[in-house]
Amino acid sequence: MSGRLEGVGAWVLYCVTAAMMIFILAPLLVVMSVSVSDSYFVTFPPQGFTLSWYAKVLQDRDFLDALGLSAVLAFCTTMGSLLLGVPAAFALVRGSFLGQSFLKSLVLSPLVFPALVTGLALLQLLSSLGSGDARVNLLIGHIVVTAPYVVRTVVSSLQLMDINLEEAARTLGANRMKTFWRVTLPQIAPGVAAGSLFAFMVSFDNYPISMWLANSEYSPVPLVLMRQLVNVFDPSVPAMSTIIILLAVVGVLILERLVGLRRAVAI
Amino acid sequence: MTDVAQTTAQAPGDLDERSPWRLSLSVGFLALPMLAFLSIFFFYPAANLLFYSLLSQDAKGIIGRPFTLSHYVHIAEVDLYLKVFWNTLQIAFVTSIVAIVMAYPVAITMVKSNAIVNRVISLIVIAPLIVSVVVRAYGWQLILVNTPTGLLNWLLLTLHIINEPLELLYTKTAVVIGSLHVFFPMMVLPLASALGKIDPNLEDAARMLGAPWWKVFARVTLPLSVPGLVAGFTLVFSLTAGSFVIPVLLGGTSSTMLGNLIEQQIFVVYDWPFGATIAVVLVIVVFAINALSMRILEGRRFRRIAS
Repeated sequence: MSGRLEGVGAWVLYCVTAAMMIFILAPLLVVMSVSVSDSYFVTFPPQGFTLSWYAKVLQDRDFLDALGLSAVLAFCTTMGSLLLGVPAAFALVRGSFLGQSFLKSLVLSPLVFPALVTGLALLQLLSSLGSGDARVNLLIGHIVVTAPYVVRTVVSSLQLMDINLEEAARTLGANRMKTFWRVTLPQIAPGVAAGSLFAFMVSFDNYPISMWLANSEYSPVPLVLMRQLVNVFDPSVPAMSTIIILLAVVGVLILERLVGLRRAVAI
Repeated sequence: MTDVAQTTAQAPGDLDERSPWRLSLSVGFLALPMLAFLSIFFFYPAANLLFYSLLSQDAKGIIGRPFTLSHYVHIAEVDLYLKVFWNTLQIAFVTSIVAIVMAYPVAITMVKSNAIVNRVISLIVIAPLIVSVVVRAYGWQLILVNTPTGLLNWLLLTLHIINEPLELLYTKTAVVIGSLHVFFPMMVLPLASALGKIDPNLEDAARMLGAPWWKVFARVTLPLSVPGLVAGFTLVFSLTAGSFVIPVLLGGTSSTMLGNLIEQQIFVVYDWPFGATIAVVLVIVVFAINALSMRILEGRRFRRIAS
């Protein structure tokens, strides 16, 4: 590759980049290191070593309930986003009708809208409709913000795929359904996978929407964690946080394996 | 079966002209479920929020007509609210500018180095994106704690760089640091993709003609990467302006932002019309930044065509 880096400029660049990497990793590493501290208060440097905070956290009903709720919620959100988002992406790429670009900006608009306001607006609607089930409300709110991610990743993989393959399949006698399942879907699978994983993770970590729609009975993980942060000062909070970090790392590795990270987040 | 018969019966010309048209119209209907869903649960409630901000609330707390702009006037008149508004703009602006300065070296290194370095940097930049904001703000709390037991103070005191612990947590600086951490990928990624599109020959040519590295950057790289820069700025500004968790955990009472004010109005004061008004103001701020960056990008395209 030409345009390689040389001389003083290169050294400055590498040093600054390394410093930035430390900046990015520091808070996560600090949380993880404190989670195994022996003392009853979170202090730096951490003292001793124990895994007992993990034992405590893994017996904490509130935390486990929240984890379960978040997992189920994120799964249902992903399914909902796929059901709405994949067909919409097809319409945006394959259709050619008046107002298509307008439709695209409509469908993607929740991405540019402050999520906090989306949640508030939804809370107002749902409470005026008298919908009391927080789980349903959370699901609706999460789908509003995650479905556009699915549309975006599926749109970009549809644009990359070779449409001639579909026509070849059709000419060879495959019907529309068969063409879709055997030719189209395998080709856009990376985009669908990336979109699903994104939807799952955005939903799992969502704070600004959940804040409005959760109640004391049904609170997803980020809300429970926030509550603990304000009230509890022992290392069980870093232990919870570390569990969340590890779950995220697993998610990232899956994403990297399936589609390659850079492609998945390409905007 | 009919499908197969249809395909074989069609003349090649038919396939090109008539069927794609009909196909494209029916394909268009596939967007309807999502459009309907968003109309009910996003567009309608958002419009309703705007409507709400114009309603008045009487002494008994009943919300209704007449329509009024008094809530907007209220924001502009009360010092506290005005201060929160300026705080939000200031924090979002400073965060975006610092993010630009910090993201350039990282993005350039990503584009110019070999595949392995690129992969490692991508992984480190993107991975935290998926860790909850609450966890990341908590990590910064532990680093910035104002007592000698905070990581930063402990480090600086141990190295004898300072004698008194720094007061960083619960300040605007802490909010900026936390926001930078959370939204940094949103600056690096568009910037890296814009830099990746620059023809390396242009930089080589400038270098061969004798320009030092900083001049190559200022005269060639920087101007050509403006689209990525503007996209990153818009994203970071919008996301920071609308954040909630970071100011709560890292900012003190003097760094309250619009998001916190909205939450307070709804959950503590129960003033729905005023809460809606602040939400509308937040949306206006975000949209104004978006519109501004669109103009900058279009202005550039126009100039290029004209020249």
